[in-house]
Amino acid sequence: MSEHLSPLVLNALADGELTPDELRSAKQHLEDCLACSSAALDECLLKSAVTRLGHRHQPSEVFAARMAAMLRSPGTKVRMTHATVPHARGNALSKWAMAAVLLLTMGAGALMAVLSLDHRNAASQREALTAEVTDAHIAMLAADQPQVLSSDRHTVKPWFQGKLPFSFNLPDKLPPDVTLTGANLTYLGRQPVAQLVFTIGKHKASVFLRGTSTTNSSGFGATANGFHVIEFTAHDLEGIAVSDVDPARLAELANLLRAAQTQP
Amino acid sequence: MTLLPWRRKTEAPAPDTSSFGDLALPLLPALYNFAAWLARDRGIAEDLVQEALFKGLRGFSTFQPGTNFKAWMFRILRNTFLTSHSGLNAMRTVALEDEINEHTGAPIPENAIDRRTPELHLLRLSDAEALERAMNKLSPPLLEVLLLADVEEMKYREIALLLGVPLGTVMSRLARARSFLRRELAQVNEWAREAGQ
Repeated sequence: MSEHLSPLVLNALADGELTPDELRSAKQHLEDCLACSSAALDECLLKSAVTRLGHRHQPSEVFAARMAAMLRSPGTKVRMTHATVPHARGNALSKWAMAAVLLLTMGAGALMAVLSLDHRNAASQREALTAEVTDAHIAMLAADQPQVLSSDRHTVKPWFQGKLPFSFNLPDKLPPDVTLTGANLTYLGRQPVAQLVFTIGKHKASVFLRGTSTTNSSGFGATANGFHVIEFTAHDLEGIAVSDVDPARLAELANLLRAAQTQP
Repeated sequence: MTLLPWRRKTEAPAPDTSSFGDLALPLLPALYNFAAWLARDRGIAEDLVQEALFKGLRGFSTFQPGTNFKAWMFRILRNTFLTSHSGLNAMRTVALEDEINEHTGAPIPENAIDRRTPELHLLRLSDAEALERAMNKLSPPLLEVLLLADVEEMKYREIALLLGVPLGTVMSRLARARSFLRRELAQVNEWAREAGQ
């Protein structure tokens, strides 16, 4: 086997900076070297985690509106200053009218900017959530076994007692080829969540349950890296199902979990 | 500050030079985020962004249409940070051994990469708070490269041009930054394991 991939090559691999020849050579090595494959996976997961966390600082709405007003009307600001001096004795009514128009323009610009930022922030949060659950699902697939390994819902559910600030129900019955495999305590958006692991045929599926968030992300479906992501809400819980299984089967599991939350 | 024309060609269409606001406003969240990480203070970050936007607005005539506006604005913001009080304090410590000799290979130590099984790493990475603490401990030269590569998804050459450093320095700083994060997270994991015993 050739020498291990250097840290710089592993970095460049995660960053998509290898030349085609370097990439081919690295891939050949990774096929035979478990240690480097592990390091490469670690590198990608670290990059992904930094990417998610790196977006955490958002400008306040007030600041965004102020900057939007400044950027939308920079020329106006200059013209106002220049215009008021030579025409100081001019028609006062026209000056007030101009000021009113300018204020309205700036206000509308600021409002549009805030709305636009809100929209972008919501989309960005949704993308971040999709990436986060997909990563957590991949991490579960890479791990040997979940933190609690049991197909018994009466074992899995109590395991979360004291670990989560909410409780949940598991379905009484699952379809014939669907089994509960276990569960993990993990984190989404820095909040503790339950990751329930199911087997659907030969596929693994994760269902994340958490207390209802304040983010506007309910009811979305997405696909990321070949994995289907389905979100649902039930009472005070928010659920997100992730798997590479047929989306209809995943939706069926999500519906069962949602229905289970209505049980006493 | 001298605003140098940004010469790197990009695939982006030529921007409308008549509207600085149209180009700069979509960058506001990214600029603020970058400033907040570097300054570690919301108020200072707002001041830095506002000053950078003013400088960009004033120097917009020097910006070459069709070149990379985002990199141009990030460079202005970074220079604003470097000349600020907090920036001057933060940048006093700069790793002198950053330069690497690209002819003889990288001097990044082999132990910068942990080749053990990844299960422990996966658990560590689920701890966002620990990762945030580790990122906040990074020196500004390492943090800025990490943010530009991982958060702003800039290419190495783009970052090298923005920072005005050789490509090898970007690669070296990135490797060192990630190595530092790995070590910090490993330590957190070690403490958690000891506490669990």
